[in-house]
Amino acid sequence: MGFLCYAAGQSPSGEGFGNFTQGMLQSCEDAVYFVIGLIGIMGLWSGFMNIARGSGLIHALAEKSRSFMRYLFPKEKNEETIMMMLMGFAANIFGAGNSATVFSLQAMKMLDEENGRREEASDEMCMFAAVNMSMLQLVPITVIQIRANAGSASPEDIILPSVLSGAAATAASVLVCRYYERRRSLHRGGRISAR
Amino acid sequence: MSEIFAAVSGFFLPALLALILVHGFVKKAPVYDLFVEGCREGIQAAVEITPYIIAVFLVIQIMTDSGALDLLERLCEPLLTPLGIPEELISFMIMRPVSGSGTLAIIENIADTYGPDSFLCRCASVMMGSSETILYAVAVYFGATHVKKMRHTVTAGVVGYVVGIWLSVLLCRIM
Repeated sequence: MGFLCYAAGQSPSGEGFGNFTQGMLQSCEDAVYFVIGLIGIMGLWSGFMNIARGSGLIHALAEKSRSFMRYLFPKEKNEETIMMMLMGFAANIFGAGNSATVFSLQAMKMLDEENGRREEASDEMCMFAAVNMSMLQLVPITVIQIRANAGSASPEDIILPSVLSGAAATAASVLVCRYYERRRSLHRGGRISAR
Repeated sequence: MSEIFAAVSGFFLPALLALILVHGFVKKAPVYDLFVEGCREGIQAAVEITPYIIAVFLVIQIMTDSGALDLLERLCEPLLTPLGIPEELISFMIMRPVSGSGTLAIIENIADTYGPDSFLCRCASVMMGSSETILYAVAVYFGATHVKKMRHTVTAGVVGYVVGIWLSVLLCRIM
């Protein structure tokens, strides 16, 4: 929010203010349109995830993905949350934009409940948000499209370097989270293991 | 190669929907009732996050319009040039964490000015593919929760971002 104060102070004077106000109001409107789009997708996926929960599919898939997710979230027990996070990752990798947002939001809400709605984020929330933020899209279709439109000889040649540097970015984020988790549990000493 | 990836990507969501439906029917679950119930919860969740989304959109708009990002760009320049990061890409790097559409516009501009197969355009494209709108994502994700202290989330995100960006430049130099 410090940015907000700075920005308000920096905002152009005179007739620039008209555009500035216009932009502000426009962004609020855009936000509502974005949410309206999200409502449909959120409804769709929440509905389908509820079917998957009722039919036992979530349970079956959570079993299969256990080892991978246990590395990132060693303390997470709730299968539904694990599945929701996994779906968020998968949707990100496949570039399913808004669906990925929906899965991630739902996963964060579930983690929030498990965290007792406390004001301090849990290890799992930090890890999930950090991994999700640096999660890459396997095929950056929009960028490839832009390059193809501009007449590139091989618009796809960016895929390999993207995947490599994206994977390194994700690994770096995971390591940072691990470091802070370790530091905190050392700091707290025996108290946390007694719980 | 990329056609295969693209096909798999397009196939993912429909396949998932079909899998859930078929599994539900096979297990004789009350598919429609479950859908309606879950859907209602999802809509509620979407409405609940609206204030946070508006706040995020507003802050991003103000930051770009007021020139706060330009200032940040000027501050970062002396730090980034020694790392071998081309100065033409600095505005891209500052924009990337806050706005996806803003960065796409910059890439289009670079592709037009320097050509789509130039080092600069390839570099920007790889950066785009290997990073996320981290500030936007943090604000939206945590907007859905009661969390006030995000602890190390932003640090982890920014470290990942910097590693991704730096490696992008490096890989584009050698590949």
